[in-house]
Amino acid sequence: MSEGFEPRIVGFFCKWCTYAGADLAGTSRLQYPPNVLPIRVMCSSRVDPVFLLTAYLRGADAVLIGGCHPGDCHYIEGNYYTRRRVALLKNIFETLKLDTERLRLSWISASEGPRFAKVITEYTENTKKIGPNPAKNKIFI
Amino acid sequence: MSKVFKINKPAEEGLVGFLKHLLDSGKVKGVMTLVKNDAPVDSAKYSVNYSLVTKSEALGNAVPLYPLMPANAGSLLSDLTIKQPLKEPIAVVLKPCEIRAFVELVKREQGHLDNMLLISSSCGGVYQFDVFVNEDMDKKLPDYWKAVKNLDLYDSLRPTCNGCIHFEPYTADITVDLVGNKNLDKECTMYINTENGQKYIDGMEGKSSEAALDKKPLKEFLEKRERERNQLFSDISDQIVGLDNLINTFGRCLGCHGCGNTCPICYCILCDFESKNHEFSPSTYETELSKRGGIRVPPNTLLYHLGRLTHMSYSCIGCGLCSDVCPVDIPVSTIFVRVGENAQKLFDYVPGRDVDEKIPLTKFEKDEFAEVEE
Amino acid sequence: MAKTNNKTDAKSMKGTVISTKEGLSKAITDFLKQAFEKNCFDTILIPVKVPANDSYAWVLLKDPALLDDANPLAPIMPVQGGKALSSILKHGVTDSSIAAVIRPCEMKAAIELYKLKQVKLDNITLITMDCPGVLPLKDWFKNPDEGEKKFKDIIKKWDDKDVRPLCQICDKFSVPLNEENATYPDLHFGVLGCSDGTGFVIPGSSKGEEILDTVGLTATKEVDKWESKVNEVTTQKRKKRSEAHKALNKEVGGSKNLPVAFALCINCHNCMRVCPVCYCQHCYFDSEALNKPPEVHLMRAAQKGSLLFKPDCLLFQVGRMSHMTLSCVSCGTCEDACPMSIKVGQVFSMVADQSQDAFNYQAGRSKDVPHPLRVFEDEQELDQVVTMCKDILETGEHK
Repeated sequence: MSEGFEPRIVGFFCKWCTYAGADLAGTSRLQYPPNVLPIRVMCSSRVDPVFLLTAYLRGADAVLIGGCHPGDCHYIEGNYYTRRRVALLKNIFETLKLDTERLRLSWISASEGPRFAKVITEYTENTKKIGPNPAKNKIFI
Repeated sequence: MSKVFKINKPAEEGLVGFLKHLLDSGKVKGVMTLVKNDAPVDSAKYSVNYSLVTKSEALGNAVPLYPLMPANAGSLLSDLTIKQPLKEPIAVVLKPCEIRAFVELVKREQGHLDNMLLISSSCGGVYQFDVFVNEDMDKKLPDYWKAVKNLDLYDSLRPTCNGCIHFEPYTADITVDLVGNKNLDKECTMYINTENGQKYIDGMEGKSSEAALDKKPLKEFLEKRERERNQLFSDISDQIVGLDNLINTFGRCLGCHGCGNTCPICYCILCDFESKNHEFSPSTYETELSKRGGIRVPPNTLLYHLGRLTHMSYSCIGCGLCSDVCPVDIPVSTIFVRVGENAQKLFDYVPGRDVDEKIPLTKFEKDEFAEVEE
Repeated sequence: MAKTNNKTDAKSMKGTVISTKEGLSKAITDFLKQAFEKNCFDTILIPVKVPANDSYAWVLLKDPALLDDANPLAPIMPVQGGKALSSILKHGVTDSSIAAVIRPCEMKAAIELYKLKQVKLDNITLITMDCPGVLPLKDWFKNPDEGEKKFKDIIKKWDDKDVRPLCQICDKFSVPLNEENATYPDLHFGVLGCSDGTGFVIPGSSKGEEILDTVGLTATKEVDKWESKVNEVTTQKRKKRSEAHKALNKEVGGSKNLPVAFALCINCHNCMRVCPVCYCQHCYFDSEALNKPPEVHLMRAAQKGSLLFKPDCLLFQVGRMSHMTLSCVSCGTCEDACPMSIKVGQVFSMVADQSQDAFNYQAGRSKDVPHPLRVFEDEQELDQVVTMCKDILETGEHK
């Protein structure tokens, strides 16, 4: 854990819920750490596990997927598929003993500005604790 | 109790006779089976390949039970039926894992099961390519059949074959009894599992009876295989845990993508990892250089393997072809079977068991995996 | 030597003497370190030992410390250097200048890829060396430490009995002397014909000369000894090559033998994927174009009674040949990647020599000679082809 380490977190946010939630957090002037690089996707189920792996191996300290709460998906059932995919990826990470702590799935709805701020704060703190991603300076990835 | 059909000839000869009967009687239009090439590659080396045979004379060189998998027949059947289902019936003789592969492909709309008589056998495993290419197979084959009869493991086989616990076919119409069958030199014993199978057997010369499969020796064999499987997994465990070990294990990968290309489950015509999506532009190279001081070229070695795991591990049937085609001897199949086993447990899924069972990632329950979300 | 575009001709070909007491590899890396310090280039592409110490991989490096694990004369060639270069420079040029330390056949592949518009060579320094060949991957992975030792011996004695079959008959292991219009590497490390513990650095372009100048070396020494030895070895190898090709032709030539030569092929297409000049992102032979309805397959099978499945294994081999034979640099990477130990590299190189001869072309010799299938001449050429075809029809063989 290097002193003053500021993690970089790549976030994949669903346009209908989490991204709008982030907007709400902003317009409500809630304070949260600036460590997230948000990427807007039309639905959390647009996120192939390979996106997360790419971010991880290219050196993102953590990856966050934000989607609608189960049952609230704009496309009816997209986030159920997301949940299965993340379960699979976490399972693979567990088998290979990679850091599952660098992967997170959170349901944050458009009205949950405070929850957005809380998740980001929590995740950033946690990532600070576990330190920089070791993949960041590997040459043979 | 299940239906048994016995032909008074050695297993392979009996089976070839049955195939000839099917062709001659016009019950099937063609037969897909392993065939020995009649021209030797060199002095005593014959190649063995799958062929689609339509005339019974051409079955003279057929070796349907030969312990080799030059390509996963599941992919071949997909090639055959990807455009349309068969209009006229054919018989196919394949290994249990090849049927499972084909069933997985059918689930992915890469082929059709219609009009296909699936003949399989309890499988003792297949030879590694290295052994097949470099050693005298005429001398080696008796050892193989001895091991199959006596329910022994045999070390010239693919490692994942020795650790395979799905050696009994799931969805075959007809199963040739091989594993643990002491009489396979004398008679060909076939279990008829479906009415479809019975339909094709009718009219063939042989003895029909009802008998229960003696499960006890198979159970012992399963235990042996399970022990070997766990041994394989524990041997490989320190090679695949943690980022550093993964980099060490896959460091020698030269990016030929032979593993994905021969994998029956990896059916994509243009793999994402071979597409422009994963090419680095010159500026990406420079960004990565500024982060790391150096970057492997071509990049994305580990990403390819981890990515492929996320795309197909839950359907990995453990045929072992990937390890066999790897030019740098990475134990790809052992790793994929290891990871696949956990993924399959997670979804309580056995790939290729049942064509009506949905692929885990194309279905969901409303109340499940709540622990994944934080 | 004939005139070249690179301001080098026979009379002015000169070099500077360096010490190779600790091996040619060490001499090259030491030189690179010096040039790096003097900012002759910003990054280097060079084979580096992988973390498990059992193989080599191409690394584009900026951090000079990484050069300690680098080996410009790696004992194996898992990835062809031309392919590695294309991976970096396919879509444009880097801002930083790159020095690529590659083997002669890798430079040839790079030049072919340049003509096929798969790599840009504007901002790059090409550095090559006299190449003793590389070990087959299959032998290497049996015991990498042993391989390392074996290869040290090979460099020392220039003994080719353990290197890849294609390296054994390679006649382009150095720079192309006595060739018209040849493109030279910016710098070449020559050791053939030099007394023990010494070698030459020979600039092949003004860029190379500048780098030598910056490092504080001047190319003033005559390199006759090296040239005559290179010529001598080339003659030997050419003889060996033509004998090997003749024998192979007997073995695999003809419509009866060729299918047997590829009988073990399992359609994994590893050969195509590792081939530096097979650059297509999506190979025709992997495409949907070859998917046919089942009736078509059954019909084809019915004609002969039996159809190899997957069909058209030979179509892939000969088809691929027709696509790339004029650019084939005979590197042998395909043969190394074949899981069934088919002599695919040897067959392809044999065919390539003939087809390139027919067009009076040598793959990778010159950046400025256009690829034969991208130019044409008038009727005279047509006449030649017609006569050639007539010959083949009448006598059953070419020439």
